[in-house]
Amino acid sequence: MLRFSKHETTFNEITKNMNISIPDRSEYLKTLAQSGQKIMGVLPALYPRELLWAFDIHATEIWDPPGEILHANAHLQTTICPIVKKSLEFILKEPDIINAGYLFPHTCDSLQNLGTQVKDLIGVSLPVYTFYNPKGSFNKMTTKYYRDILQNYQLTLETIYGPLNPEKLLAACVLSHKIDSYLLAIQQARMTDHLAMNNLDYFKLMRAQEYLLPSDYLSLLEQVDILDQPSESPRARLMVSGILPPTSEILRFLDELGVGIVADDLLAGSRRIPKFPMDTPVSPLDYLTDRFFVLPPCSTRGGDLDERLHHLSKLMDASQAQGMLFDMIKFCEPELFDHRLLVKTLREKNIPVLTLETELDSHISGQDKTRIEAFTEILFEMASA
Amino acid sequence: MADLYFAGVDVGSLSTDVSIIDHSGKVLSEIVIPTGVNGSEAAEEAFGSALNLADLTREGITAITATGYGRASVAFATGKTTEISCHGVGAHQLFPRTGTVIDIGGQDSKVIQIDSHGRMLDFTMNDKCAAGTGRFLEVMANRLELDLDELSSPLNIKGESAPISSTCTVFAESEVISLLAKNTPREEIVHGLQRSIVNRIWSMVTSIGVEGEVTLTGGVAHNKGLVALLEEKLGLTLNIPENPQTVGALGGAHIARRAYQSNLESPTN
Repeated sequence: MLRFSKHETTFNEITKNMNISIPDRSEYLKTLAQSGQKIMGVLPALYPRELLWAFDIHATEIWDPPGEILHANAHLQTTICPIVKKSLEFILKEPDIINAGYLFPHTCDSLQNLGTQVKDLIGVSLPVYTFYNPKGSFNKMTTKYYRDILQNYQLTLETIYGPLNPEKLLAACVLSHKIDSYLLAIQQARMTDHLAMNNLDYFKLMRAQEYLLPSDYLSLLEQVDILDQPSESPRARLMVSGILPPTSEILRFLDELGVGIVADDLLAGSRRIPKFPMDTPVSPLDYLTDRFFVLPPCSTRGGDLDERLHHLSKLMDASQAQGMLFDMIKFCEPELFDHRLLVKTLREKNIPVLTLETELDSHISGQDKTRIEAFTEILFEMASA
Repeated sequence: MADLYFAGVDVGSLSTDVSIIDHSGKVLSEIVIPTGVNGSEAAEEAFGSALNLADLTREGITAITATGYGRASVAFATGKTTEISCHGVGAHQLFPRTGTVIDIGGQDSKVIQIDSHGRMLDFTMNDKCAAGTGRFLEVMANRLELDLDELSSPLNIKGESAPISSTCTVFAESEVISLLAKNTPREEIVHGLQRSIVNRIWSMVTSIGVEGEVTLTGGVAHNKGLVALLEEKLGLTLNIPENPQTVGALGGAHIARRAYQSNLESPTN
């Protein structure tokens, strides 16, 4: 069974409005590794986490580890995105907290190539796995392909960790289903002002799933208050699209300005939560396959751009978002391919759009601050008109 | 509304500008001074000069909007608004049929779309490089050992121009050094520099489009050669304010006036 957290953790991040504690990522993982937990480092973004949980492996996700990029630059072109660079920098340090290997899902060509590079060229002491997600929409061929790669990955893990216990896999799917249900409810509450939580706290909560044990994360979600009555609406309502949430400094700045991010189209956010509640799992393989194909449209999975536009439009309507912030990671090809048409379409609908480019620095430039502030002035004018 | 005065204080990277207006919007004084290293002190000094010029005291000003990159450093302001909104409002006040504002400032350039009330609809700003800004011209003037006035002399726009990068100030400066080493006439280099800024602005204009009349603001609007090239590129005549540097401050003063008026009209008052 998956363990609940009996280990001691430094709870040094208190979310003001939630009155619940989110453990610090680094301290939490250190304590977990010291307790003997198997931990696999997983690169963004979509992977069968339930399968890993069933083997008692904790999947901790590597998106934007802090620290300067130094050694990774020697292995990568300058036009590679900072997620890949920061991840490689992290891997090259061979951190103690990762003890069961690395998993590289096929999210984009850069991450796929990084997997190959780490495995065949750079070489690390831990096993390196790849997981080639299907590209394209739900159909007979893609579903069959997805089931096949799930089974192949299971076989790979069985060669190292022994036969899979089917009961454990079903339990992991049930846990995953519960987490999804809570996240869907919280996301819905956010859109309708039934969640008294600022931008910074909300995204801290969302991102805690990247490193907490699923049982710990579920406990955290269970503590979130969903209000019976809507709370005060923010001065302006914003939707954000991109890979990662805006940096803490930007979120804090939006909080100061009174702008609420009421909906998101983030790969590290709502794009990893099913579009609608799913039935409780009965057959793990069916559940995992279905879950993958009911995730919202995403630039990293190919598919139809019209479907994505339709989905964004629905989210904007449901959340009454007045404008869209595209927080684009520099050199993120999948996102940049879609970005131009998304912006054009939104502008045609008279929806204000702001695009920021980030290299995942914690610092926000004066120019970006002015851009954000000017954009909120447009939204405030709209709100008061 | 008699005896009510409003001010806009625009603390930019190169200059600090103040505009004082009365309740009807009539401009009473305008001041432009170099910002220097301390935006807060520059704001105090410029505001003091503008008050003297208008024969007013600080207590006589009803509301003050701070704008520009140093807006947060204006302690005496009653409100702050970005320079993007302020340039839109200022341009609308001077040229009511303005639909597009091109502001070439010291540190950055913007293209702003506004509606028939001067409200901002959309905008774009140049990226992290100073290419296409006043700073770019300052760096190049220094390299060419010309003053900014000499750099702005009107040129025969059909004449030769040296090719110069429009994307990076540092590269452009290297190119200028190479051109000087090849004894390229300075007027050709100046022409090339102006064309480089125009190309940069053009790429921003195309990203959001041109609506209505186009008003050029910011100190670079004094550069007659550049204005001629920009008009040629856009295929229209630009509105050039008498004091292009103070348009942001003027917009700020009008925003302060509007905020005061709407506060008076608020049902809670």
